[in-house]
Amino acid sequence: MVEKHKLEKPQNSLPIPAQLKPYALRTHEEVSTPLTMTRRSMLKNSAAWLTMAYGLAACDRVPPRKIVSRPNLPEYQTPGEAVYYASTWTDGNYPYPMLVKTVDGRPIKIDGNPDVAINFGKSTSSMQASTLSLYDPDRLRHPLKDGKKVSWEDADKDIIGKLKEAKSVVLVTRSNIGPSERDLVKRFQDIQPKLRHLVYEAIHDGLRQGTWEEVFEQEGESLPKFSQADIILSLESDFLGTDGIVPENVREFITKRKISDKNPTMSRLYMVESTMSVTGSNADTRFRLRSSQMLSFTKALLASLRGEGKELSEYAKKHNLSETNLSSLVSDLNSHKEKSLVVAGPHHSKAVQATVALINQELGAFGKTLAWNSKPATLSANSQEEIEQAFSEEVDVFICMGTNPVYSWAGNDFSNLLKKAKLTIAHGLYIDETMSACTYALPSHHNLESWNDAAPRDGLYTFCQPTISKLHDTRQEAESLLVWARGISKDSKGLDYRSNDTENLWYSYIRYYANKDKKERQWIKSLEKGVIGEIVTTEFPKLNADKANKLGEASVASGEYELLVTPHHSLYDGRFANNPWLQELPDPTTKLVWDNAAMLSHTTAKKLGVEMNDLIDIQAGKATIQLPVLPVKGIADNVIVATLGHGREKAGTIGSKQGHSISALKGTPDSPWHFPDVKVKKNGEKYTLVRTQKYFSMEDRPLALDTTLSKFKKDSEVFHHKQHKPSYSQLHDHYDYSINATPYKWAMAIDLNSCIGCNTCMLACQVENNISFVGKEECSNGREMHWIRIDRYEGGDEDNPTIHHQPMLCQHCDNAPCESVCPVQATAHSPDGLNEMVYNRCVGTRYCANNCPYKVRRFNYYDYRDLRDSVQELAFNPQVTVRSRGVMEKCTFCVQRINSAKFEAKNDGKEVADGAIQTACQEVCPSQAIHFGNINDPNSHVAQIAKSSRAYKVLEEINVRPSISYLGKVRNPSENV
Amino acid sequence: MSVDTILRPAPLTTREVSFQELDNDINRPLESFPTFRWWIAISITSGMATLFLVGIYYTVFYGIGTWGNNNPVGWGFAIVNFVFWIGIGHAGTLISAILFLLRQAWRTAIARFAEAMTIFAVICALQFPLFHTGRPWLAAFWLLPLPNHNDIWVNFRSPLLWDVFAVSTYGLVSFMFWYTGLVPDFATIRDRAKHPIRKMAYGILSLGWTGSHRAWQHYEKAYLLFAGFATPLVLSVHSVVSFDFAVSVIPGWHTTIFPPYFVAGAIFSGFGMVATLIIIMRKMFKLEYLVTDDHLELMNKVIITTSMMVGFAYITELFIAWYSGVAYERYAFMNRAVGPYAWAYWTMFSCNVIFPQLLWFKKIRRSALLMYPIIILINVGMWFERFVIVVSSLHRDYLPSSWDYFTPTIIDWFLFIGSFGIFLTLMLLFCRFLPTISIAEAKAFSPGAQPSGAHHE
Repeated sequence: MVEKHKLEKPQNSLPIPAQLKPYALRTHEEVSTPLTMTRRSMLKNSAAWLTMAYGLAACDRVPPRKIVSRPNLPEYQTPGEAVYYASTWTDGNYPYPMLVKTVDGRPIKIDGNPDVAINFGKSTSSMQASTLSLYDPDRLRHPLKDGKKVSWEDADKDIIGKLKEAKSVVLVTRSNIGPSERDLVKRFQDIQPKLRHLVYEAIHDGLRQGTWEEVFEQEGESLPKFSQADIILSLESDFLGTDGIVPENVREFITKRKISDKNPTMSRLYMVESTMSVTGSNADTRFRLRSSQMLSFTKALLASLRGEGKELSEYAKKHNLSETNLSSLVSDLNSHKEKSLVVAGPHHSKAVQATVALINQELGAFGKTLAWNSKPATLSANSQEEIEQAFSEEVDVFICMGTNPVYSWAGNDFSNLLKKAKLTIAHGLYIDETMSACTYALPSHHNLESWNDAAPRDGLYTFCQPTISKLHDTRQEAESLLVWARGISKDSKGLDYRSNDTENLWYSYIRYYANKDKKERQWIKSLEKGVIGEIVTTEFPKLNADKANKLGEASVASGEYELLVTPHHSLYDGRFANNPWLQELPDPTTKLVWDNAAMLSHTTAKKLGVEMNDLIDIQAGKATIQLPVLPVKGIADNVIVATLGHGREKAGTIGSKQGHSISALKGTPDSPWHFPDVKVKKNGEKYTLVRTQKYFSMEDRPLALDTTLSKFKKDSEVFHHKQHKPSYSQLHDHYDYSINATPYKWAMAIDLNSCIGCNTCMLACQVENNISFVGKEECSNGREMHWIRIDRYEGGDEDNPTIHHQPMLCQHCDNAPCESVCPVQATAHSPDGLNEMVYNRCVGTRYCANNCPYKVRRFNYYDYRDLRDSVQELAFNPQVTVRSRGVMEKCTFCVQRINSAKFEAKNDGKEVADGAIQTACQEVCPSQAIHFGNINDPNSHVAQIAKSSRAYKVLEEINVRPSISYLGKVRNPSENV
Repeated sequence: MSVDTILRPAPLTTREVSFQELDNDINRPLESFPTFRWWIAISITSGMATLFLVGIYYTVFYGIGTWGNNNPVGWGFAIVNFVFWIGIGHAGTLISAILFLLRQAWRTAIARFAEAMTIFAVICALQFPLFHTGRPWLAAFWLLPLPNHNDIWVNFRSPLLWDVFAVSTYGLVSFMFWYTGLVPDFATIRDRAKHPIRKMAYGILSLGWTGSHRAWQHYEKAYLLFAGFATPLVLSVHSVVSFDFAVSVIPGWHTTIFPPYFVAGAIFSGFGMVATLIIIMRKMFKLEYLVTDDHLELMNKVIITTSMMVGFAYITELFIAWYSGVAYERYAFMNRAVGPYAWAYWTMFSCNVIFPQLLWFKKIRRSALLMYPIIILINVGMWFERFVIVVSSLHRDYLPSSWDYFTPTIIDWFLFIGSFGIFLTLMLLFCRFLPTISIAEAKAFSPGAQPSGAHHE
């Protein structure tokens, strides 16, 4: 693990969150100054004012603002300097420990907590984008009753009264709630025994986890240990994209994919899928197979592994799969017992999951490449049927917390259930579909304003602490429950915690809960570190093979077309739909932004007589949905893949009416996201899909280079044969970057073998550098602003292509073509090798962008700063200029971080240590594909990496001398192939 | 063959005319109330010019986003129009300076008109580089090497800066050259003027011209000096404009053929535009006896020569792209011919190279009616040449991941049509207020004006 640089340990945890309040809000309050004036001063002033009025009449009028100094600064806070708080991200499907960077009391950047051995400082794109949601102007700012503003006191009084008398209460929460919250719900049930707690999630792991619990006869979950496996087979499990604890999966997976020049070895990934996922794009061998065939495939594979007949070769013929590839899969698995692993996606039926468990037993994976976690981090979700059951009788009070069933309820008829409830209460961030359908809409704290805890793994506790005082008149969901519980039971029976602090009920509850196990002296320390305890490893339970065999006895009937519904790569189930950064983060596979689509193969599109942007009707059962067509290479024929999370009716200004909802379709309990028999027909209408990349062919250009492991073993110089490196004579002298001339020369090395193309770097860059989003229309005009992008190229087979991912950002060329053409010298070279952009000087001729061979420069065609509300200003990184209309911008190698590190080193009288600077993209990269440092230091990490025999530079022949080295990709397909 | 034999000296007029007749005919549009047709024409052109103002309003208040430019295609219509107008401006100086030095007397018929066109074309051209910048309010003076407090200097390595110098020099010299030629004519108008204000206005413009021997001597010297000074500019301006592209690293731009190719193209388009307008002018003002079919034929000979020069350049580009063996270069040119912008490429090719071949027929060369469609196509083709160079090279360069397509917006069209509006409005005003043919020169070169046969020995 790369050490996290300059991790400002929070020196003191914040004592009470309210302390932060005045500072966080002060610059945004427009305060009018009282005016005292005498006759003389009035005359004096009016002369001055007249002059000013004439002089400034042409200028912008800045509304008066009061600058207030802060007399009592917390001792650990220096204005402008970042303070990091350890916390936990609870907005997603898994509680990721995080480190929040705050400057002057406002959280501006989130990364993983490097001290926790789960994500090791890494984070997901949704997590990165969380700061923007915190400052979202669309957040509900005060409680509402029937759409009208109401005070918390009045709301509480009413709700408590109703709860007291209620004969039946249904509480629906999301699955990612912490141990204290779970405990609180239990205590609430003690007080109000009529309360039923149900968990609703549009996407959950219920089928897979349920199967495990059945066949292993134990509560818990099985965790893949990709770092222990030489052969990995994934059955439509997008473990590098959306399935499971992705940063951990990536780190595990990539451990065996980092190769040395001398003795290269790496794991081999087989993928069987109908869609084209991030994981599939990284597979060494990939099979296209319809989802409905996954069960027969697993059964055939199991039989072959047991040596029962020639089932697999027959299977290969029947389903048009490569027989050689399949037999090499079987032989690989057979020859790598205890070193191989099979994972299946969460959407597969219990029959598939059980058969996979049997295969893994056959491979000896239990306890070797699969670990058992007896305490899953999140609650297992209830099925829709169970929730419907709770509504079978009349419900007096219905409470919905942090989940949005009205939008995502399969079949789209949750509102019918709501009608059965006398009082409906929803608690959430936005007036979303559910909130607006309920009587009470209560605004919640954002994750970054909340106290919470989590148990991401057995034995491990992490804390969530507020990093800013609440911005609006909101209240945490748990606090509401506590208030109501106290209200119902006057004697606080069942709530035996220290409750003198009536202001911060939930805070004292959490603290009490943490101290219950005599952890009082650890409280401050654990808040600083964000985590206590150590991961407890449990022995892998025994498989009940009979049960598994029995579960596996099922069959799937499939029709002509089938539909597979997957989570969206960044919006997940739609909960982040109002976050423009996530909407504009291109889909790793299709580069689609702001939309979802019916993705299908070109063959299927031809068969249906449709092309891109045609709308199609997809009918499953009685329900029909509409989706625009997007043909994607690599998807199995006759399969349509669509993502959840779009088509929100009431997401907010950003997310409403973006894309298409598919929640009208309802699957079966055993197959909620896979529809094996759907009717598809062309609708005749058109829609506009927008992609940030339109051409996926490399046109035989040596851009993203790759080879196979066997070729690389034979000839480690294989990448250099493809490169053309003529020698050049120079017309004029260049900067001298030798070690004698400059101690620092910043450079980057990107390992294409590690890059999985997940796009997380794009988002980290956007957060760090205040990069604007531009909206769907401007994306369609080709004006997206991302400073780093992942170029994706398709090669090889037309139907089942080989995918290349190549992060592309400013190459900081030593002989930069952009610099010489700027007429006003707005872009120039720094002595330490940076290609710098002077926003203030830029007049916007765009010549530099034209002359950039990598096309990484981005122009502000409009004023893209989305400032509907002053609260949004708080999200900006104060170290980075916010660019105005008409100027060019591009990657700076995070120059603000470089300079901070240099200042610090200079103050200490030292040189900048290797690894002291991490660029935002490097910091977040879950596969550690990006390396950055001083190339003039021969011992630096980046200098070592750039020396690799795999290192090459893109477009070296045009003599621009880029500072970024790429390390060619090595694929590891079976040698029989 | 020498220039003299191809550009066969033609008599200036078709018949003998008296000085009085010349004065009257050339000055008639200035001295009579504008015709109904003139009012119609100027209301149309100034309407078009208003579109330019609308376009500029949107551009300045909302940003370049109102145009069709995008990430790979950073330059669109604005730079196309800029190069187009600069090209149009080329004929003026060529005719007035180079043909003057080559003693081509027939140039008198078209020189004044072409010079005026040059200046108005440069005025149109100058709008685009300024307003295509993201922050024109800063670009207007940051691109000039003005001393400033922070010692921030312009970048002398940038071709855009060379443009600033080249175009401003060209504009100024062209204007002064034009004005010098106008001085004796201003005096003629002054002397003919009846209204005191008119007399005073033209009197001031004529700089106190007396028509004395000394004045004529100085005048001829100054005119010759300016001609000598302007001649290299004919070659330099468009060479420098071509450096905007040639100096870059983008395939399709990075070509050494650009300077001569651009100059030839500029003369080609300039003559095209002169012919387009002067044919209308001579018809309207009934000056066919001064701008004769002989003159049209001579212009057509220049046009077909330069047409073949650009045709040669097009084919050379294709050949060199193939011969270089550079994949990117090859792709760029293949893409022009068969890619998404093939329609633009073949429009350019046919308008500039194929249709002008009809001018080999003498009948077409000498008929204003028959040559007119060809001349119009040349204007179209030369605009498309710049479009092909600017847009088709940018839209697909090195990394296929960035490839995109450029589609102009309504604002792009407003600015394009509007620039024609400005140009034509200025031309109409020119016809109304200034003599469209040099009276003094016409008098000097009209048949019988010069002493002949008698040699001073």
